[in-house]
Amino acid sequence: MTQTISQPALAAPQPRLASRRGGLSLRELAMPLALVLICAYFEFRSTKFLGSRNLSFLAIEVSITGVLALGMFLIILPGYIDLSAGSGVGLIGGIAAVLVFQHGWSAPLALLTAAAVSVTIWALMGTIIVKERVPAFIITLGGMAAFRGIHDLVIDDSTIPVTRGSEQNLYSILTTYYLRPAIDLPLVGLVIAAMALASYLRYRRERQAGEGVDGELAFMHTFIAAQLILLFVLICNGYRGVPLSAVVLGATVLVVYILTRHTPYGRYLYAIGGNEEAAIVSGIPVHKVAIATFALMGVIVAITAFLQTAYGGYSTPDLGNTMELDAIAACVIGGTSLKGGRGTVAGVLVGALIMAALLNGMTLLAVAFEIKLIARGIVLVLAVWADVKLGKK
Amino acid sequence: MAPASESRGPVRQAQGGPILATEALVKRFPGVVALKGVSFDLRPGEIHAICGENGAGKSTLIKTLSGIHPAGSYEGTILVDGKPAAFTGPKDAEKLGIAVIYQELALVPEMTAAENIFLGSEPRRFGGLLIDWERVYVEARELLDRFGLGINPMANVRRLGIGHRQLVEIAKALSKKTRVLILDEPTAALTEQEVKILLEIIRDLRRRGISLIYISHKLDEVFAIADRITVLRDGSTVQTLDAAATDKHQVICAMVGREISDLFPRRAGAVGEARLSVRNVSVSDDDGENVLSDISFEARAGEVLGIGGLMGAGRSELLMHIFGAFGRRTAGQVLLNGQPLGPGNTPVQSIRRGLALVSEDRKRFGLVLEQSIGFNLSLSSLGQLTRTGLIDSMREARRNRELFDSLRVRAPGLSTPVGTLSGGNQQKIVIGKALMTLPKVIFLDEPTRGIDVGAKVEVYELINQLTASGYAVVLVSSELPELMGMSDRILMLSEGRVGGLFTRQEATQEKLLAAAMHPAGEAADLVPSQGVFP
Repeated sequence: MTQTISQPALAAPQPRLASRRGGLSLRELAMPLALVLICAYFEFRSTKFLGSRNLSFLAIEVSITGVLALGMFLIILPGYIDLSAGSGVGLIGGIAAVLVFQHGWSAPLALLTAAAVSVTIWALMGTIIVKERVPAFIITLGGMAAFRGIHDLVIDDSTIPVTRGSEQNLYSILTTYYLRPAIDLPLVGLVIAAMALASYLRYRRERQAGEGVDGELAFMHTFIAAQLILLFVLICNGYRGVPLSAVVLGATVLVVYILTRHTPYGRYLYAIGGNEEAAIVSGIPVHKVAIATFALMGVIVAITAFLQTAYGGYSTPDLGNTMELDAIAACVIGGTSLKGGRGTVAGVLVGALIMAALLNGMTLLAVAFEIKLIARGIVLVLAVWADVKLGKK
Repeated sequence: MAPASESRGPVRQAQGGPILATEALVKRFPGVVALKGVSFDLRPGEIHAICGENGAGKSTLIKTLSGIHPAGSYEGTILVDGKPAAFTGPKDAEKLGIAVIYQELALVPEMTAAENIFLGSEPRRFGGLLIDWERVYVEARELLDRFGLGINPMANVRRLGIGHRQLVEIAKALSKKTRVLILDEPTAALTEQEVKILLEIIRDLRRRGISLIYISHKLDEVFAIADRITVLRDGSTVQTLDAAATDKHQVICAMVGREISDLFPRRAGAVGEARLSVRNVSVSDDDGENVLSDISFEARAGEVLGIGGLMGAGRSELLMHIFGAFGRRTAGQVLLNGQPLGPGNTPVQSIRRGLALVSEDRKRFGLVLEQSIGFNLSLSSLGQLTRTGLIDSMREARRNRELFDSLRVRAPGLSTPVGTLSGGNQQKIVIGKALMTLPKVIFLDEPTRGIDVGAKVEVYELINQLTASGYAVVLVSSELPELMGMSDRILMLSEGRVGGLFTRQEATQEKLLAAAMHPAGEAADLVPSQGVFP
């Protein structure tokens, strides 16, 4: 009698949906296309935009925006937000600069100490958010103001260089060191080989799991990514080589990708953002995950702070101002939902590229600071608007 | 037919002609034909039930009748009072007096019951400038008093249980000038007592000349109130039957297209030692109010312990508390496999100790809807599936596939988003997620709510398999036939206390209800009669 039940039930109509792997959606294509258009426009207006020299600088700028955006991505995935990131970048970079320049600490020790301060502050904010139930929006808005103030106190409203005298240290080379072709070419070969292997393993695994996988599409993805990386390296080699900061970005991408795609922690981020109550009942340690995420953001803020401060060479009072705006915009442009639960590392990278390219291009065209600020604000709002529009389809 | 000869107004129609009808309605979605020529008519002052399995086209039919699918998006005709109607949206349907109460409630949680009832149609004063709050609350109280449950119009909806929220929603529809009221599974979340009250209200509406379309999986209710029954299957009308001239068996056969010989296929097996012992447990909620007092029971390996009770008796709260997701324990002890569990245990610890919970509200507490089937299935078990910190995706996919197949989930594959599945298949995913944690004791809180007959029997079969393999199953249900049909022993709760414990053999509907109404001791000599319901 039991079998008599299952048969008609099996014949019941089931919800069908178009295969998600059946090609790229409008949304996935729109942003890379926008990036190409932006680059084409700037190249048209100023022939220097796509030159090796400018692209090398752009690479450094993308690294800075991208690293912070990836941290913001981890924060937004479970449905939080960090408005204090920009001020934090100023403060942490300032602490490291003061330790090096005024107290004569060695650069590695200074960086480590500043990073430890950063992790502590962010872990504390995370703890307050989950234990005391102060919304992330509010506590980081407070942090935005407070960190800016502390930063000004730390550097005494002055300009603090990241080195003493003219010698190089670990701090200053973050954005001035370039990998020479003899190093970067074998490295890029290694990276591409690893990507190809990972892609193949994933394809085989999904085949074995009995999922309908489009092998050609998977190959194309990897192939295009490899081409882009190679192209990037060749262009950089036309100037001084691959900037060290790009390697930092690459490492951050790898870590965040593995965290979000291959660890329980990453799954939990998506689950909390998708449905926090279900996550709690499913046995996810929501509090621990949130605190760990903010602690990670502390690490990211520290890395961004060191890169950004080193890029200018000095810690200045307005350093890092409104950087959280670029990071949030990069996430949203890349398809990360501000409600949490949706987004990809690749998308965030494209978003960071767009934001960095816009800024770089406008600087190249000598657009006034005020206009650049207005443009960034408009792009952020447009990105969220487009996300809402496209998200409905 | 009716001697209503005083036909006022210019509307010339045949006496007793349908107030609302469809002719050869066809509705297509990309890749799916949801309605394949549905013809249906609603006579004035009748209760017309629509039955069919999930996916049969009931929801699509309602959405077409209420203007959510506007004219032009379907083929065929909708007739109101015999005249073709072309709705551009729900407002048009509302103007003609057609109102719908949907399965998914549409209330604002932070507003009071009264504010919700009159949301968008608040009575005004001073020429419409200000809201007449006095009338809002007076009229809301009148509407809510019909339920006889003492729902306070000043209560925040957020603080009401799912059942009471539904009643507020129904009151909201009653507050409007409605000629045709469509109820989509209105009793899915109600207890037997509340269902009876609601059915009485529905009969009262019919007496006042309102025509009703009543959609429910619960055939007992359908037969209790419906004048006619239309059965849909796969988007087509199978039959329209006179309720007086048919029976449940015939309707079920029409719905599934074949015989179902046994609705509750419980196979009791050997019962082992106690897996879960609850001893004199009292629990208070976050506001410090006592919700459960002195609860004791045992769940043993291989048995189904049913827990019943009226709404607000504390059934779900009891399960959620033991699991570690509700309230604070003020007294008593819980033993899981002989070892104390809690107080103060978290869901993480409970799952690790071999306890799993399938919540009554699968969309709220069970699923991450926009994620895939695979994501949801393994969500609680990732700890077992990691190697050196990374998820072993081969093993994960294999385990997911095993459950997907053994639960007979009907979906294209593991990567299908859970939000696109039918209720029955979603429920299987929630149960699968619980099973993957390899529990010893599994709590099933209303596991068949809102799923169709075929899927229900599959859940029952699954319960049989679980007890046969030594699980202790605790089944909470507000449907007495299900509780009596599937439980080996039944614990009735009443206002947060134990109302009685019955074996399968001694349980009768009357005994269970008496225990649900009065905590043990008081109840002993109370024979429930017609007067049980206020």
